Amino acid sequence: MKLTRTLAALGVSAAISLAAGSAFAQSAAQRAVDAAKQYSGEEITIVWEAGLQSLDPLNFSGPLWEKLTGIKVKVVEVSTAEMFTKILQEHRAGTGAYDALNVVPSWLPDLAIAGALEPLDAYVDKYGFREELQEIAPVYRDNQMKHDGIIYGFPDDGDVFVLYFRKDIFEDADNMKEFKAKHGYALAAPNTWKEFREIGQFITDKYKGKVHGAGFIRVPPLAMFMFQERFRNEGGKFFDADSMKATINSQVGVDVFKAMVEDNKFMPAGVESWGFVEALSAFMSGQTAMVVSWPPYGRWTAGYGLDEKVLSWVPKTTIAGKVGYALPPGGHPQLALGFSLSVSSSSKKKEAAYLFIQWLNSKEISLQRVQLPYALRDPFRDSHFASEEYKSRWPDAVHYLDVLKAGAVSGLLDLSLLQTDKYEEAMRQGISRLWAGEDAQTILDDVAASWDKTTKRIGVDKQQAVYKAWAAKPNAYPN
Amino acid sequence: MDTLGAHRSPAKAFSAGRFADKNFKYLTIAPAVFLILLIGLFPLVYTLMVSFQNINMMEVDTSFSGLMNYEMLFEESRLWLSLGHTLIFTAIALPIELGLGLLMALLFLERLPGKQIFVALLVLPTMMSPIVAGAVWRLLFDNRYGPINQILGWIAGEPVTILWTINPDFVYPAILIAEVWQWTPFMFLILLAGLSNVDSAQTEAAEIDGAPYWLIFYKIIIPAIWPVMAIALLIRGLDLFRLFDVVYALTQGGPGTMTETISVYAYVQGFKQFETSFTGAIAFLVIIMLTVIVIYALKKMELVEK
Repeated sequence: MKLTRTLAALGVSAAISLAAGSAFAQSAAQRAVDAAKQYSGEEITIVWEAGLQSLDPLNFSGPLWEKLTGIKVKVVEVSTAEMFTKILQEHRAGTGAYDALNVVPSWLPDLAIAGALEPLDAYVDKYGFREELQEIAPVYRDNQMKHDGIIYGFPDDGDVFVLYFRKDIFEDADNMKEFKAKHGYALAAPNTWKEFREIGQFITDKYKGKVHGAGFIRVPPLAMFMFQERFRNEGGKFFDADSMKATINSQVGVDVFKAMVEDNKFMPAGVESWGFVEALSAFMSGQTAMVVSWPPYGRWTAGYGLDEKVLSWVPKTTIAGKVGYALPPGGHPQLALGFSLSVSSSSKKKEAAYLFIQWLNSKEISLQRVQLPYALRDPFRDSHFASEEYKSRWPDAVHYLDVLKAGAVSGLLDLSLLQTDKYEEAMRQGISRLWAGEDAQTILDDVAASWDKTTKRIGVDKQQAVYKAWAAKPNAYPN
Repeated sequence: MDTLGAHRSPAKAFSAGRFADKNFKYLTIAPAVFLILLIGLFPLVYTLMVSFQNINMMEVDTSFSGLMNYEMLFEESRLWLSLGHTLIFTAIALPIELGLGLLMALLFLERLPGKQIFVALLVLPTMMSPIVAGAVWRLLFDNRYGPINQILGWIAGEPVTILWTINPDFVYPAILIAEVWQWTPFMFLILLAGLSNVDSAQTEAAEIDGAPYWLIFYKIIIPAIWPVMAIALLIRGLDLFRLFDVVYALTQGGPGTMTETISVYAYVQGFKQFETSFTGAIAFLVIIMLTVIVIYALKKMELVEK
């Protein structure tokens, strides 16, 4: 019931906006709707991440688009791990099975080079979307949209790591006094990883295991992003730009690996196997005092939308109103994953597909979508961070949006090269070996050797050019 | 009456008729054989062709690239390690499945109340899709929510946190438990069928002569069920060589590549990293290996006439 009401409210709000006459007639969303009406009765297929993410086109944007334009949207749900494979497979087979795509931005170069993505510049100009694209937060707009100067995707999800901490524990007078006496500085959200460990250990000791200092996501595919973030915050570089030799096995890398193992010791036993849900559940039930994760944690810990039926699997929050938001230690959070909207080059309905993604990504509609409590799309436009509507969603939403906005300025890009997955796979394997107890230096030497081998196979000069271009971006490494 | 036959030379008509009679069986199965060859051979030939090209994520180069991909096979230590892991799984799981399957079959050979229901329940895991079985065992082994650690905790009297899919000491046992759980019933079913057909007159005669059970088992029962047992071993051996689903669901080949089988490795190369031509070469290597193994096994098991 609650879900129906929310959807109805969002739908009506969007429909009213679109029908609001002259003031809105020139908006990109309206232009997309007007142009798309010529394709009424057709069906377009879009690839979307399976699970909560896809409830956006299934329950909200898909039905609304059909109502406005007569174009039906078929959603193909694919897990993130299989998305790249599916998109490239269908492209290679030339099936034309997908019209519109969700693409992780770090895949953009590979998919663009493979010819799987349709260049969008001509459509952007034809349907006047350039101005609204400029209003996307710079870090996403400048880094997650183009390859070789050509637009292949619209950044559509402001993924960024946030540190969530228990304000009630951090602001407890006894805790503050004891901590200050022991460590000589105030108990607050940690600015460095050293502080993080001291605070984490203090809380685990103080609460004798009933509350642990932290409980992190540690499954290798996701922990890999946390390693990337911490490694760079501590001064690490992935490659020597001159020789293109991997430098991930530098002393910084080894120290970060060792520190990650040490940190696990004040986290709950078995944390090495924790994924998104395990870390969420432990934090929501009050078992952990700090966690670094994606933006939905902030909404759910505040209780936003948790009475929706589709979120019934999310543990009920016991910490609403007690959660503080901060940038993770180091101050440069990883912009881990994210999604851009693209059009498949093998689609037979490219224009209709383009119009749909322009409408989805537009200022008006995207604001509705990032407020869907279940859909996992996070604020990515300047207007989202400043939205009064969003700020009123829960008492601390203002602070939450401030932290997301700060992260969108100082955030670090995922490593993106040619055949990124090969480099990521070596990192994932390295982290799984780390949790299995192997020596940090040995693991990282193997990862570096694997990276060098991959670079050699791709071509050192070719990859070096891509790396140099990536590393020159302001958000590749902390300034 | 002037018929066509009347003008045909009797010798020719006799010869054509004789050809049709003699080759009737071949003519009738020819369409099916053609279809099977088309379905079976085409992918094989296509894979072979691709393995001599250079198709990967970045380029579709269909020109002849020589033995490049086959040379890479020998340079890839990860490939040979994954082959080693595959052999370890096969060498451990196959005898366990055979032993347990045989024991269960011997047990169920006797008249038991509710035997049919038990047999039906026992074969349920075999009917499950292997990837689902892997997912189920992943949940069972989960250190936070899985019942296995909970039960071990009750027994130990303190919380048990075994990381079944992470700790190097437990990953092989975890995969083997899941694999043996799913496929022992297959052995059981086939061996039960074999045992049901052992001539009881021979075993009874041996018993009357005072032969101990182990001798009867070794000298009469095993030889009697050997053809069935050999086929079951061959089928399961080949399945284990292609082991993928349970490993992928439980560990994805980790930690590192510690449990990576040849199938998981080929999947990663082919479908994650789009090394299409190299994967074609891997596929051919596996085909050659399996062909040699099957021919050798068939000879050793004396299932084909020399």
